[in-house]
Amino acid sequence: MLIDIHTHIWGPPGSPPCSSETIESSKKDLIKAGEKYKIDRIYVSGLYSHYPDEEEIAGLNWEVAKFIKEEPKLIGGFCYVNPAHSNAMDVLKKGIEEQNMEGMKLWVATFCDDERVFPLVEQCILYNIPILIHAFHKAVGQLEHESLAPNVANLARRYPEAKLIIAHLGGNAYYGIKPIRNCPNVWVDFSGSLFRRDDIDYTKKLIGADRIVFGTDMPGASFYNNLGQVEDGDLTEEEKEKIYYKNALRLLDRRERIL
Amino acid sequence: MKAVDLNCLVGHWPFRKLHKNTLEDIQNVHRANNIDGGYVASLNSIFYNDPFEGDEELHEILKDADGYHHVLTINPKLLEFEEDIKEGIERFGIKGVRIYPGYHGYSLDDKDLAELCRILKENDLPLFLPLRMEDPRLNYIITPGTIAMDEVKGFLKSFPDNKIILLTAFVSELKQLEDEIKDHSYVKFDTSGLKDTLFSIENLTAVFPAEKIVYGSLYPLYTFRSTYFLIKHAEVSEKVKAKILSCSW
Repeated sequence: MLIDIHTHIWGPPGSPPCSSETIESSKKDLIKAGEKYKIDRIYVSGLYSHYPDEEEIAGLNWEVAKFIKEEPKLIGGFCYVNPAHSNAMDVLKKGIEEQNMEGMKLWVATFCDDERVFPLVEQCILYNIPILIHAFHKAVGQLEHESLAPNVANLARRYPEAKLIIAHLGGNAYYGIKPIRNCPNVWVDFSGSLFRRDDIDYTKKLIGADRIVFGTDMPGASFYNNLGQVEDGDLTEEEKEKIYYKNALRLLDRRERIL
Repeated sequence: MKAVDLNCLVGHWPFRKLHKNTLEDIQNVHRANNIDGGYVASLNSIFYNDPFEGDEELHEILKDADGYHHVLTINPKLLEFEEDIKEGIERFGIKGVRIYPGYHGYSLDDKDLAELCRILKENDLPLFLPLRMEDPRLNYIITPGTIAMDEVKGFLKSFPDNKIILLTAFVSELKQLEDEIKDHSYVKFDTSGLKDTLFSIENLTAVFPAEKIVYGSLYPLYTFRSTYFLIKHAEVSEKVKAKILSCSW
């Protein structure tokens, strides 16, 4: 079994009932990837602008909900929220209660430990759903409000009952893993276009295999970047199974609380 | 036809610990994936004051390794580099020369690089040109210079008769270089930078002849299977896969 916890449909949203051309292209790629790579479940969020307005957020979540309806067996959704918006809580509630999404997605509009994020996290704890947090330490091109591992660690310590996923190993594993290693409520995904030979082994050494989940960032990255990291890593078959799907199943199970 | 990895290295990388950085490690991952050999360069040579000392180490490592070829590291800004090439040919039987403009601080229109290209042409040796070694977002402590695509375009036009292998180019960069790569009789590019899109081999083989693409992993800096699986599982003919996995000029 294989679960991809981190993919996207990219582009400006369309208008009901039609998806935009770029989003249709993302959807086609993800469906094709699901078939070709034998992925059992693909979790999607819609992204476009770094600072999306309320209309864009609503449109992107509509596109994800539409995709879930079209491909219910393959596609699951993370509700994209801009915490700076006054309607952010309504967006989250609609996403989880009406649009069948299974988690919340935070990107680069605010740091993840911004106080405007707190009520959203508290609602996610009530729902017992995971929060997928983009975090990326960059030597070049750092965005103004792009979260880093210490931001995720701050949030994790404030809310130890929240289930957090730090994406992309925090960008650079050597910067991203140490700050969260003593936060048992933080899982890591290694999605994206980086595939250094030693990143997964280093991550396992620091936090073990139970908190690593498989993600790809498709269609903006090659599926094999991430499959190759697991297959090249010094991992047992049992550890690979945990990474490929067992850890994700546990994370997504709303009946199981971590505290 | 033998399958080869054109871009593998042994030695140390100063910025992080490599756990699989010996020839034996490379051979193990190659054997497990039906790769018969490789073109190997020294990571140490990039950073030594005299790169040749790293290549002497590499020669000791490779001298009894069937199917594994020595690629000499040259910094053309160092005096007497032509003597190193001569010695590399005579003592090590080198099969190519690898340069690092980004780390050694020169541009592709440098006059000493032009002299290096003249010597390589004279000796029928390919030039291995890495466009990067790490994703620039991950650079640590030092920031190597970047190589602009306009520089690469000018370089390919200036040396139409040299055998050149572009290493770790992104798909977006290969698209920018499409005309220059197609127009150059002897340039190829490897697979180690094909990370930013889905189905890259299928898409690239629709644009470039398969002879232009060679398999290169950048192991052990990068994972081996991430790029090997791109070819192994690509929806292209076995003939095309065989062409990519073997390198003939």
